[in-house]
Amino acid sequence: MSQLKQLDDFGARMGDLIGKDLDFEPLALELFRLQSRSVGPLHSLCESRGIDPDRLADWRQIPAMPTTMFKEFELTSLPADDRPYFFLSSGTTEQVRSRHFHNDTSMRLYERSLMTWFSPNVVEDRTFAHMISLTPPPESVPNSSLVHMFDQVGPTQFFGGLESDEWVVDFEALIQKLEDAKGPVLLMGTAFSFVHVLDWMKSNHRELQLPPRSRVMETGGYKGRSRVIPKSELHRKIRIRFGIEEDDVLCEYGMSELSSQAYDTGRGNEDERRFRFPPWARALIVSPETGEEVADGEIGLLRIFDLANVWSVMAIQTEDLALKHGNEFELIGRFPEAEPRGCSLTSA
Amino acid sequence: MTFEIPNYFLADLGPDAEFTENMITEAVLTLRSNRERYLAVRDTASIIRILSQTADNWLEEDYPFREITLEKGPAETGFSQETIRIGLDHFFGGLNPDSLEDLLLQELGHLKRMDSLCAARNENGKEAITTGPEMITHIAAGNIPIPAMLSIVMGLLVRSAQFVKCPRGSSFIPRMFAHSLYDTDSKIGSCLEIAEWKSGSEAIEDTLYRHSECVTATGSDKTLEAIRNRLDAKTRFLGYGHQVSFGYVTKEAVSGYKAKRLIREAADDVVAWNQLGCLSPHIFYVEDDSSNWALQFAQHLAAELEKREAADPRGEIPKEAAAAIASRRAMYEVRAAHMPDSSQQWCSEDSTAWTVIYETDTLFQLSCLNRFIYVKSTADLEEVLKGAEMVRDHVSTVGLAAAEDEKEELALRLARWGATRICPIGRMQKPPLTWRHDGRPLLSDYVRWTDWEQ
Repeated sequence: MSQLKQLDDFGARMGDLIGKDLDFEPLALELFRLQSRSVGPLHSLCESRGIDPDRLADWRQIPAMPTTMFKEFELTSLPADDRPYFFLSSGTTEQVRSRHFHNDTSMRLYERSLMTWFSPNVVEDRTFAHMISLTPPPESVPNSSLVHMFDQVGPTQFFGGLESDEWVVDFEALIQKLEDAKGPVLLMGTAFSFVHVLDWMKSNHRELQLPPRSRVMETGGYKGRSRVIPKSELHRKIRIRFGIEEDDVLCEYGMSELSSQAYDTGRGNEDERRFRFPPWARALIVSPETGEEVADGEIGLLRIFDLANVWSVMAIQTEDLALKHGNEFELIGRFPEAEPRGCSLTSA
Repeated sequence: MTFEIPNYFLADLGPDAEFTENMITEAVLTLRSNRERYLAVRDTASIIRILSQTADNWLEEDYPFREITLEKGPAETGFSQETIRIGLDHFFGGLNPDSLEDLLLQELGHLKRMDSLCAARNENGKEAITTGPEMITHIAAGNIPIPAMLSIVMGLLVRSAQFVKCPRGSSFIPRMFAHSLYDTDSKIGSCLEIAEWKSGSEAIEDTLYRHSECVTATGSDKTLEAIRNRLDAKTRFLGYGHQVSFGYVTKEAVSGYKAKRLIREAADDVVAWNQLGCLSPHIFYVEDDSSNWALQFAQHLAAELEKREAADPRGEIPKEAAAAIASRRAMYEVRAAHMPDSSQQWCSEDSTAWTVIYETDTLFQLSCLNRFIYVKSTADLEEVLKGAEMVRDHVSTVGLAAAEDEKEELALRLARWGATRICPIGRMQKPPLTWRHDGRPLLSDYVRWTDWEQ
């Protein structure tokens, strides 16, 4: 059986298993074995580390691919003529960005993974009358996994646009829409878009009272696109400006290189926003010094193992620092990009 | 009996002390009045005596301030005891009557220029005297302690009262130096203040600036710009911005019998102050043909760094810094595994203590420091300069290892290109006292000249 066929079969099984009880470790090891044969750089990495994928017995030992490698290599088992879609990491068109290739089959699994974990975490028992996104619509940014996600969970109305590569929000239309809303709203956007909206509302003296049972889902960092304010403060401002309950500001953690998302479970407790992946994905927090898993309550680099990433690589090494709380994690943030430190390190 | 650090400077109050504008004003007025009484009246010879005496003390094993700095230094600064010892021994070893006189001659042309109207032999009888600012504020960077200490030395030579503001948590070693000056001569010590507070405390900083004739600052271009904008026009501002350094090794230098020593010297440059100073190398460029000199250089440098770690450990670094190293290593691990001809890496085991990355791509790249060094192979210097174009305006030191007959040409090329200091490899982080910081004059940037034509 060809490697691609084996991966397709695995993907089909995953499609059935998502949402059911699954035994993570054997599936992870099996998927890693398949990927180590079909993704060149992963194969090279195993060889250089002297790892025999057939003998590996612990999912924690699966070598993780740094997210930055998605910029340099085509980390995919999909044949070159069957990659109709690809997601790009955030960034400008001038920057080299990560590419995560998809075809119809992998997209279906992606969407199954997305919806299966989105429902119990974001929707629960609610029926949203309006799903509203602060991002540009999928037509404007077809390679954004985030916008694709917002679109998939909908029907979603988009109130963002693109202006010379920058994501902007149509403030007037958005606020009008929210003011007119009859029934619960789900408002989704990136942290920096929320900052833009809050700033606009403040300078225009606008305040809202969203209908009962509305929710806000915020995701991602600021990426230099707005001023940086601590997340707890951002959430407090969102609650005040949009007039929603404390428990109803949620966070999502995801990236274009993955096919599953984590949501925070620390609702209302701003000091401890804890993220949790679905049963088919796991987070491992590793010490930057030793590469070993850290103890509970310690900080390390976040590594993610995602069984829905069937046709690329399932183990991803992020550059995010996280605090381990059992199977959950608190996001500490990304260390600053390398910049000339020299004398400038910590001056003034 | 254990030695207690005296409680004299604001920084002795600890990193959490809060200051008001009144406290700063009072401190500055005291400094100015002490300067008037004790410092302005001293001659250069006595300042040289005090500085040299203090430096001599520091070189004694049982000098209490040395002992306490080495004892508490690792916890206070994150540097290992050995790293601090090597750094301080170099600094104080280079602070003596000869070097101080060299500095005065280089900068002011005459040893008595600060004391009286005088003329050097080549000045055709035109006499002149220099006068320092009454009060200097130094906004220091926290990466390594030496620049703040150098600033203090310069300030004393021009007889200025000085207020040294360090970033929070980084005043320890400059503070010990200040205490040692106080110990040598309490009146001179009373013209000096050391404090630390959180950056961006504008109200107290503005108070400080208002009372200073001269402000020096080390930091990012943005930081410097922000400070400059808050000074009035008559306040002299000396800003030292982003600087990076690299080494260049020619084929001649690496292929001979001296190669072994060269590797040791390159390691000296990497481990000195854990590579955190702006004179520390990010990259060693090694000229290469088909002989794989660069690869061998990298290999041997890795072996040397491993040896150093045993004797002179790097010490613990913040999580973010370790994460930066771990991430960079993870990336190069895949590259090296998949394209071994273009890059390779050597890493300390179970720690981020040291890393050597060998690469054939000559584009200038910033290291994540803390003993993380690139070795890049190159055909020649022109290729290096092309690849380093983006940091051209920010290059401080180029460590150069070359045969005698090629040195001058390379140095001239580097100087014309924009490097402000060229030195042998092994001395990158050990500049002499006369080193012109960022290519600028030292004392002569501080003083006012008075020419007397007769």
